[in-house]
Amino acid sequence: MSQAAILLQHVTKRFAGHTAIHDLSLEVPRGGIFGLLGPNGAGKTTTIRMILHVITPDEGTITLLGGEGTGRELAHRVGYLPEERGLYKKMRVLDHLIFLAEIRSLSRAEARRRSLQWLDRLGLHDWTNHKVEDLSKGMQQKVQFIGALLHEPELVILDEPFSGLDPVNSQVMKDVVVEIARGGRTVLFSTHIMEQAEKMCDRVAIIARGEKILDGSLAEIKAGAGKRHVALAYHRDAARAARVLEDRKLVARVDDYGASAEVELAAGADSDELLRSLVTSGVGLSRFEIVEPSLQSIFIDRVGRDAATAPATEDAHA
Amino acid sequence: MRKVFAVIRREFVTRVRTRAFVISTILGPLFMGVLIFLPVFLAGRETGAKPIVVVDAASGDFGDLMVTALQESRIGPSSTGRPRYSVQRVLAMGRAQLVADSLTALIGRSRGPEGAPVGFVVLTDDALATGAVAYFGSNVGSLSDMESLRGTMRPVIQTERLVQEQVDTAVVRRATAPIELQTSKITEGKLTGETGTSSFILAYAMTFILYISLLLYGIQVMSSVLEEKTSRIMEVLSSSLSPFQLMLGKVVGVGSVGLFQLGIWAAAALYLTANLVPVLHLFHLSADAAADISVPTIPPTLLIIFLVFFLLGFMLYASLYAAVGAMCSTQQDTQQAQQPVMIGIVAGFMCMFPVLNDPSGSLARTLSLIPFVAPFVTPLRYSIAPLPPGELLLSMGATLVGVLAIIWLASRIYRVGILAYGKRPTFKELWSWVRTA
Repeated sequence: MSQAAILLQHVTKRFAGHTAIHDLSLEVPRGGIFGLLGPNGAGKTTTIRMILHVITPDEGTITLLGGEGTGRELAHRVGYLPEERGLYKKMRVLDHLIFLAEIRSLSRAEARRRSLQWLDRLGLHDWTNHKVEDLSKGMQQKVQFIGALLHEPELVILDEPFSGLDPVNSQVMKDVVVEIARGGRTVLFSTHIMEQAEKMCDRVAIIARGEKILDGSLAEIKAGAGKRHVALAYHRDAARAARVLEDRKLVARVDDYGASAEVELAAGADSDELLRSLVTSGVGLSRFEIVEPSLQSIFIDRVGRDAATAPATEDAHA
Repeated sequence: MRKVFAVIRREFVTRVRTRAFVISTILGPLFMGVLIFLPVFLAGRETGAKPIVVVDAASGDFGDLMVTALQESRIGPSSTGRPRYSVQRVLAMGRAQLVADSLTALIGRSRGPEGAPVGFVVLTDDALATGAVAYFGSNVGSLSDMESLRGTMRPVIQTERLVQEQVDTAVVRRATAPIELQTSKITEGKLTGETGTSSFILAYAMTFILYISLLLYGIQVMSSVLEEKTSRIMEVLSSSLSPFQLMLGKVVGVGSVGLFQLGIWAAAALYLTANLVPVLHLFHLSADAAADISVPTIPPTLLIIFLVFFLLGFMLYASLYAAVGAMCSTQQDTQQAQQPVMIGIVAGFMCMFPVLNDPSGSLARTLSLIPFVAPFVTPLRYSIAPLPPGELLLSMGATLVGVLAIIWLASRIYRVGILAYGKRPTFKELWSWVRTA
């Protein structure tokens, strides 16, 4: 069998009235960080739930860790942080962690030892014997994050792990994720924040409206998009700059951020020409750099702006 | 299996640790103790007889006889009991209405004068002839008061009628002497030493415990499923355990809390009955008072049968409650959705009454075969009347089959429900949940 950590073959999932996932094939190799990207309602969570066997696909097959069982049967080798965070509010933090580890087949003694270590590491030591409901939302999220990792899973699946976290906690969690991947284990996380994915992922797949748009290593994807992107920054006159960038002979597409922009050159246009027009129009150019396209611009280019907001009906299941 | 055990342990530990559990465990026997001791207390403290007035507008010695009979009426055994009434007689020949009107003004006032009567009986010749005796009082709503009043008056009227027919008074007295039925229960060919009353109390207590436990713990199963849904922890749980394992763990976990609590109570009850006299002493009651307390003995076979049906009934209703919890998304939803389940439990409890009336009748036999009510009916039948082993096994078998079918059905609903949010499903949707693979 394949050595892929996760292999989806022609997976389709329908919910009452619409198709959430359509003929999705995906291969997540072992080791490293894999980003599952897509706008809200694209089907990321549905895909993850199917991988974990929380729901079953209508068509197609899902193979986990070489095909030794379903997500539920392999629960002791898979860690999962769902998008909808939830813990038993009345349980004490330590008891809760032990319970989460136990249902992933870890012994109580070992679960207790590792829980205490993790609580220490993530700065929750003082909260060990508090009830979950006494913790702030960010702390609860960390507890659940620990719960997903206690049994040292080979495959860690995180659904929107960084949403709702402050920068400090975000950083802590990011460090843990990177460490797991460095140890040779596989992390799959979903996000709609491209900057995050761009910094962390070795490979990504972009899905929208239940279908795969593209996947591959970050380098491949960027190379495929061509070196026709220019990053700009100007400090004097953004309005004049905008007028220059409207020239469709020079510029195919603009991501305008006000005082800066990322543009894709039009076919046949020369970057020198763009530079000349910007300088002569006196926008106060402070940056002009030929760059690889950002994941964000590739994403928007491929998914299309309208797809970024999915129809409301899909949201309930995504 | 370890996973299921983890779920069971969690359910058990988190529940037993709560303040609510401790309080209910303590208050439960306290409540029961009050039920047992209160009558003794009240009997010991009852200040005296109920004051009633006899408005005597009848001719002859009818009034005399009635007053005597009322005065001789006792609470408890006729030789040792205290008088039931303190009787005042008003001769009112020809002006009964007037006397009745003035008495009416005295009765039932929240601040009546000391010793004000609770009611009055109007005796007329007409009453003797028709047997319709008028009683006016503040206590006419009390069935037991009225029953004892009727019981006291019946022989007087019978005597008086016979005397009017020239029957010898002595003969009449002998003929109308009250009958006391002394009941002793026989189980398995042996005298149990129980009276009919204590056997009834035992049957009633068992049924009541089953009823309360099913409601209490069933609802706990339901709200626990709902909590897992609303807190969204269900996602993590169901990525690790199958819905059936989850439901099983929850039902068994909550059920064992129930059994644990029953165990504590049973132990407390055993201790109390074994040490009845010293305990009574604590309440400054003499050892004699112990005689007034009927402690039913529970035969071991009955205990086993009760436990078997308790477990079957619990499995059945708890899985239904789990399914209800799974199909709801908010607390409000459950209010309505749980009603059919609750009706089942209440119906089971209500079945107690016809079954008590005729424990071996065809209705009781039929009810023993219906899984929803059999857990209530069968132990009850066993406790009050001989139950052929064949019928017992048939009832157990039928209930078991029913329980398995219900668990299967409930787990199908549970499986889909735990991940479905939003509007509560219609029956048609529920059916499609059951049928989806």
